[in-house]
Parts: sequence; structure tokens; C-alpha cells
Amino acid sequence: MSQIEAAAPKFKLTVSRDLTDVAYRLLAVALICIALSLVSDAFLTANNLLNVLRQASLVFFMASGLTLVILTGKIDLSIGATVGLSACVAATVIKSTGSPWLGAAAAIGVGSIVGLGNGLMVTKLRIPSFIATYGMLWVAQGATYYYMSGQSVYGFPTGFRALGSGYLFGIPIPIYLMVAFLVIGYFFTKRTTYGQQIYAIGANTVAARLSGIPVNSRLNLVFVLSGAMAGLASLIYLARLNSAEGDIGETLTLPTIAAVVIGGTSLFGGVGSLFGTFIGGLILTLILNGMNLLNLNANWQPLVTGLIVLLAVWLDMKTRSKTDSN
Amino acid sequence: MKKAVLLISMLNVAGFVGPATAADETIAVFTKNQTNPFFESVRVGTANAAKAVGVKLIQYVPIKPDSIPEQTSQVEDAIVKKPNALLFIPVDYKAMVPAIEKVNAAGIPVTGLTDRLAGGQLVSFIGAEDYRLGLETGQSLLKAMGGKGNVVALEGVKGSISNTDRMKGFNDALKEFPNVKLLTTQPANYQRLQALQVMENIMQTHPQIDGVYTANDAMATGAVEAMAAANRKAFVVGINGSQEAIDLIKAGKMHATGSSDPFMQGCLGLLTTVRALRKMPVQKELMVTPVIIDSSNLKQYDVPVASRSCPKLEDVAAK
Repeated sequence: MSQIEAAAPKFKLTVSRDLTDVAYRLLAVALICIALSLVSDAFLTANNLLNVLRQASLVFFMASGLTLVILTGKIDLSIGATVGLSACVAATVIKSTGSPWLGAAAAIGVGSIVGLGNGLMVTKLRIPSFIATYGMLWVAQGATYYYMSGQSVYGFPTGFRALGSGYLFGIPIPIYLMVAFLVIGYFFTKRTTYGQQIYAIGANTVAARLSGIPVNSRLNLVFVLSGAMAGLASLIYLARLNSAEGDIGETLTLPTIAAVVIGGTSLFGGVGSLFGTFIGGLILTLILNGMNLLNLNANWQPLVTGLIVLLAVWLDMKTRSKTDSN
Repeated sequence: MKKAVLLISMLNVAGFVGPATAADETIAVFTKNQTNPFFESVRVGTANAAKAVGVKLIQYVPIKPDSIPEQTSQVEDAIVKKPNALLFIPVDYKAMVPAIEKVNAAGIPVTGLTDRLAGGQLVSFIGAEDYRLGLETGQSLLKAMGGKGNVVALEGVKGSISNTDRMKGFNDALKEFPNVKLLTTQPANYQRLQALQVMENIMQTHPQIDGVYTANDAMATGAVEAMAAANRKAFVVGINGSQEAIDLIKAGKMHATGSSDPFMQGCLGLLTTVRALRKMPVQKELMVTPVIIDSSNLKQYDVPVASRSCPKLEDVAAK
């Protein structure tokens, strides 16, 4: 730790906070796992751990794009609705053309367009992101209802379904995708100028602008990436569930935000990491898994999630006020 | 959004083919949303019956699904337009009572449909009992399992009447089969994705699952996908009679789906309303018999709703 501090003093706070934040959260995951393995024989099996990771992957895809948005100090409330719209458009494209590739292009294209809309509302019209993406939530959801008119589209080609329910060397394919995006995301956020600029915008937008960072174009970029990742998540959803209907996005936004926040990304911007978000999604998934394994009523899950979110935000504010007073 | 009136069934404006008295009768039909295929089938049923007896329809559907303020303003709109009668599915059985009391005060007769209002004056109520639906769907599952083995249940939204009654029906069905063991009952809130994940988790602790009861078809399909991905097989039943479930039954991946026959509810609701308008006798309450769709009667229900036909106006009271 001291070496890092000596080598790069200006990133001192970010680096050390990131590391301790992630360490705390890994510790939390370890504690949950130890507790669950003590009370349930079924928990600590390769099968169940792969099951948990596969479930966590969907949350991760949605939450990773959102993490970039939140790192800039903005928010994207349209995530779930974007997943719903992308899924429905992609589903009809795959059904009518038979081509998963066109479907994938449609999902990611629709997601990116919705994201660009969010970005332009924030950067050109100067609408606060909370309001702009809240409006977009209804627009995307309404468009989905109109598009689907109460029907569901189902039954996709086996090759496409492998994306969600297939295995490679005994490991579910969504897990490979998640690891790949985790690695790419790490390099993007930590090792490229783009990534550092995203952190800088969230830490202090005015300073970022004054130091020559093209703030608006970076904000557009993170919103487009958030939408595109929502599009990708919708593909995983389709491949896993084999079906799309108008209301699938309705319940997805809040757990996604929870994953980012539990993962230690500050809603004030500038602090956090994709790896943290991965852990946040993992914790959320473990709660449901544990409750199901222990045969507890899973309706407690939202309550437990809420308490963990509050705890995470409280810790964030506490450490923040400490670093501020230094 | 203010005047969010959807005139979906303008096609019925041309329906002057019925008895001579019919030409200027207009009935306002209220359903909950555009998203659930159930209500689409109800609307098709009403449109089909309306065409046969020659009345005009105005379909009111909230754009935001199940929106109480929107349906309230649509009721106010209807009071101004003064249709001859209302055929009414409340988006909320308690919150819509004041709106219906206003319709009562305006002297427009109201027929209740699908969900029973907690107050207000109704000419008649047409619906289906979720309890019987749960009971008979459950019986069908437990019989298919040969009256033995392990079963799990996935619940809908806890506290909703439909879920409470469907689960009560299932639990009563279970009592008739003492050799079936209920492993666990878990909520998946009528959601496909939650059902998939909950089922994946349940399979971790229970190596042998022979039957899965779910309180709607979306959860049933989630359970089917979870089992298929793990190369496991069980009898799965759902409720709603959706086309997706029918296709899964056809493919041998699902055992049955219970249906409260929304098309028939639409038919009977509209015909009862018309009978009351034309001073023909009506029953105070009419319950549609649940239909359990499985491989034995699949053909009958595997047709587009629009091509089915309603009973005759004269036959309704006897049904």
C-alpha cells in the first residue's frame, strides 16, 4: 500500500479507498458464504456456486453500464425499461428473421439509442439525469407496451439459447461473458484516459471541464454504454427465459441500482469500481439463494436488500466525511 | 394522458346487424391494461358478443397498466358520454368503489366483471373463482403425479386476492393426496425471471422434484426453463391458459394450465349487460366454469381467440 502511495500520490485516496472498499465487500461475501455453508449442505457445492454466478451475471450486465453513469455522478433510472424494450424488439427480430445476430444487433442498437437519448437530454437540454431518465423510463415502457400489445414472443433457436443456458467445460456461458466484461471493464475504467476522465467528471465536474476534459461527450458515452449493456442484458434474459413480454423490465431497475450501491460506488460520483458492482450483484444473488436454500420466505429479500443498501450508503458517507475532513 | 380513452373496438360501430331495437345501444367496457393477454381475450369476447347482438362498444383501457387515477378519469368521461350501460373490471376492487358510486348516482347500470368490487350497485357480476381454479389445476397436477412424490409451489404476489385464493385451492387439493409431499412454497411474484431463479435455487436442495404448481403461466414457463436447463423433468402446471402455456403443453414440456376462460367472461359479461338493458331476466351472479387445458383437450383451445364464438343471448341466463 505504501509503495502505491509513494509512486502515485495524486491518486492516493482513490486507490486506497477502492482497495479497502473492495476488501470489506469481499469479506462480507466470505462471511455470507461461511454462514450459508454452515446452515445448508447444498450451498457449498460446485453446482450451486455456478448457479449463483449465473444468476448474478444478468444483474452484472445491467449494473456495469449503470456503474459508469453513477461514477460520473449521474443516474440512469431507465435501465429496466431499456432491457424490456430491447428484449421485445430483439425477440421479434429473431422470430421473424431467424437470425440471432440480427437480434443481437437490434438489442444493442435499441439500447444504445435509448442511452443516447438519455445522454442528449442531460448534455444538450440540461435536464438533470434523474428527471431525464425517469421520463425515459415511461417512454421506453410505453413504447414496449404499444409494440407488444399484450402478446408474448417466445421460442428461440437452440444456438441462441446457448448464450443463456449453455455450458462450456461445465461452466455456464453467461459466467464467461461476465468475466470477460469484468476484465474489459477493468481496463477501460482504470487503464484508459476515458476511464480516468469518467472518474474525474464524477469527482468534480467543474474541475474536469476546466482541465480540458470533453465532459459532454464523455457523459453521452457513459449513457450510450449503459443502454448498450442493458441491450446485452436483454439478450441474456431472452436466451435464459426463451420468452419476452411487455412487462419484463418493470422490476429490474431498483435491484440494479442496489447492486451498484452495495458494490461501493458512490451515488455522488467519482468513487467506486466495476469489481465492486460485481460483488454487489453477487451479494444480492446470495441473499435470494440463501433464503431459497433455507426455505425461508423470500419475501424478506427486499427488506434485507434495503437494509444492506442503507448500510452501504452510510459507510460511504462516513468514509467520505472522514476523507473530506483530512 | 388526460383524455386517455382508447377506442379499440371501433369495428363494432358497424354492428347494426342484430335485432331492430339495438341500433342505438352503447356499452362502455372497462378493462385493466393493454399488457396482459387475459384482458385482450376479455375484449375480444365482448366484441364478438356485441357484434352478434348488435350493440356499440366503447373500450376504456388505462394506458398506464392498472392505473387507478386513469380509470377514475375514464369513468368520469363515460358518465359525461352517457352510454346505456357499463361493463366494468376495476383496476382495484376497493379504490374504484367511489367512481362506481358516481355512475350509480348518474343512473347508468353497471355489470361487474372478473374482479368483484367491494361496494357500489351492480346489476350482475360475472367472474371466475380463483379458488376453484387453484383447486382443479392442483388436482390435475397431483393426479398426473400418480398421487405420490414431491411437489413445490411458486406463489404470486403475496396478499393479492388472486394468489391467496389460488394457493388456498392448491392446498385443499393437496389434502386429497396424502402421499404427495409439499417440499416448499416460495414467492416468485408472478414474474418469469424470479420463478426461473427461485426454481434454480430450490433444485439445489431438492434432488427429486416430481411436480411444480405455479399460480400463473409466466412463473410456470420460468420453472419449465429452469428444469430443462438442468436436464430435469417434472410435471409443471400454471394458471391463465396463455398461448405460450398451450404451446408448451403441446411440446410436452408442461402438464396443464388452468383457465378462467377470459373470452367466455367477456361474452357472458356483455350478453348479461344487454339482457338487463332489454329487460330480460339476468342472474345476480354468474361464475364461469374453470377449464383445465392439458394434452387431452388441447385442440379445442389451440385456436386464436378471435375465431371462437360466444353463446347466444337467449341461452345466457340458463348457463
